[in-house]
Amino acid sequence: MKATLGEKWFYGLNYVILTLAALSCLLPILNIFALSFSDSNSILNGSVNIWPKGFNLEAYETLISGTPIVRAFMNSLLITVAGVAFSLLFTILAAYPLSRRGFTGRRVLTLMIVFTMLFNGGLIPNYLVVNGLGLVNTYWALWLPALVSAFNMMIMKNYFENLPDEIEEAARMDGCGEIRLILRIVLPLSLPMLATIALFYAVYFWNAFLQVMIYIQDTRLLNMTVLVQNMIRSQSMMQFINNVQPEDMQAIAPESVKSAGIVVMIIPLMLVYPFLQKYFVKGVMIGAVKG
Amino acid sequence: MAYTEKKPEEAAPRLNSGKGSFRSGLSRRNRVWMCMFAPVLVYFIVFKYAPMAGYLIAFKQYNFTDGVFGSPWTGWDNYRMLFSDPTSLQTIRNTLVISLLSVFVGFPFPILLAIMFNEIRRVWFKKSVQTLLYLPHFLSWVIVGGLVVTIFSQETGIINQWVERLTGEPFPFLYREGSWLAVFLGSGVWKNAGFGAIIYLAALSSIDPSLYESSAIDGAGKWRQIWHITLPGIRSTIVLMLILSMGNVMEVGFDQVYVLQNATVSRIADVISTYVYRLGLQGMQFSLTTAMGLFESLVGLILVVTANRIARRFGQQLW
Repeated sequence: MKATLGEKWFYGLNYVILTLAALSCLLPILNIFALSFSDSNSILNGSVNIWPKGFNLEAYETLISGTPIVRAFMNSLLITVAGVAFSLLFTILAAYPLSRRGFTGRRVLTLMIVFTMLFNGGLIPNYLVVNGLGLVNTYWALWLPALVSAFNMMIMKNYFENLPDEIEEAARMDGCGEIRLILRIVLPLSLPMLATIALFYAVYFWNAFLQVMIYIQDTRLLNMTVLVQNMIRSQSMMQFINNVQPEDMQAIAPESVKSAGIVVMIIPLMLVYPFLQKYFVKGVMIGAVKG
Repeated sequence: MAYTEKKPEEAAPRLNSGKGSFRSGLSRRNRVWMCMFAPVLVYFIVFKYAPMAGYLIAFKQYNFTDGVFGSPWTGWDNYRMLFSDPTSLQTIRNTLVISLLSVFVGFPFPILLAIMFNEIRRVWFKKSVQTLLYLPHFLSWVIVGGLVVTIFSQETGIINQWVERLTGEPFPFLYREGSWLAVFLGSGVWKNAGFGAIIYLAALSSIDPSLYESSAIDGAGKWRQIWHITLPGIRSTIVLMLILSMGNVMEVGFDQVYVLQNATVSRIADVISTYVYRLGLQGMQFSLTTAMGLFESLVGLILVVTANRIARRFGQQLW
């Protein structure tokens, strides 16, 4: 069948708009990369677009020597890795029993969890609980309140429910106990879904911001998000760049250092993103179709 | 680990004795499941339901020494204060305006993107555009805020370099109320539209392709196909997403406002979450801000339930 004139227009427009949308996502990030590698003259006279002008690494040297970015990076890593492990474990502990038809109280308990999606104790009551448990200024204040996300739990529960019964029955016939069934059969069959949920939790913990501002007062424990935000906000970079002499400051534009901070935050995401893309698309669809 | 190993002589009679042993197997499994679920139950009680009891202090004058239960009751005093104070009223109004605009401006974009993706036949193009459009969802608001502030900066920002070339002088995008709101809404669309499209793509993939074929034979053009086949095909997903977004109406994300706001636009940019953070956690006014929080949560709950009621009338309800 031949495409009509109207259809040709339709397809042409479609490609143009989507290309523009994709560029709108790419160009700001390229601009930040370029700024972080450029010298201060080019930045101040505004000639930096998406390619560095006067290439140098001084912004990164300043960032590493003058700010606690390395420590903040390690803190973010610790918060993320441990947080994902705890949350994944607890989400499995919640989702597996709730996915079993014979589980006593299944309906009530599911409702109890879903209700927290619709109504929750706000900022201050949560703070009072965390503070009352003595968790302030420890990472437990970040990990414990986020152990189970109701949304992720529902995705996981739906996935477990849709695993074929036959495999489970066959395993039971062979005398496979419940714990072994979970570890040897259910979880290995659910790897794509588990990867998706792990990714969602990882993004949550890596990007943690408000929680850190509320619960962590010790500056040595701050993560990257809060540190970089403080850098972006500060009018003078001097309070962060305390190791650098004032005369050296001429060479580096504050924009450059801020951009370098943002780049350092983006890079770990960029590294894992391509590998996880196929998983999260599938994961969201699982939640969407059966949710 | 007591349940993991089962000896064959125990398992064998179970197979022969019918329903009774199925029951006992079930109850044994039930015990395992309960042991698994117990820590989760404790977690939900301590970290999700106990804070709800903390809402009591909305009707009290909270102080640290007496705690949640010991502090003196004050009845509706906190609410009288909230609803007579012009600043807090302005905050509530800002929250409603910003969130309603976010929902209605942001809502169509994922649908449009999904329909457009669906019409692309070149796999490499589709893949690379999707990869780029999903990416912003994973960036924290601090990064997006940093990007926005850098790009729209008056002295060095790339947008203002172009504006200056065209009009002769830079425009303070982030320091005028109207343009600030536009940048705010735009950044929300930029961050969420691509990822939001995934859910509609899933719904689109379940439309029967033969519908398109037969309509093409009947002479329907692309636009008519989209109007009469594609959109009705994803109607239930659209309604579902609309209900879910109604639940978030009162909840303008703290991060987005916090990273984008500045003193010049605070008249329209201060929302409930930033108000609670500033007055509650930094100003120690726990009772007043909890009253505000409870108001926010209740309105949110009422909106979701109402939206679901309406959707039920069309047979599209969430529960």
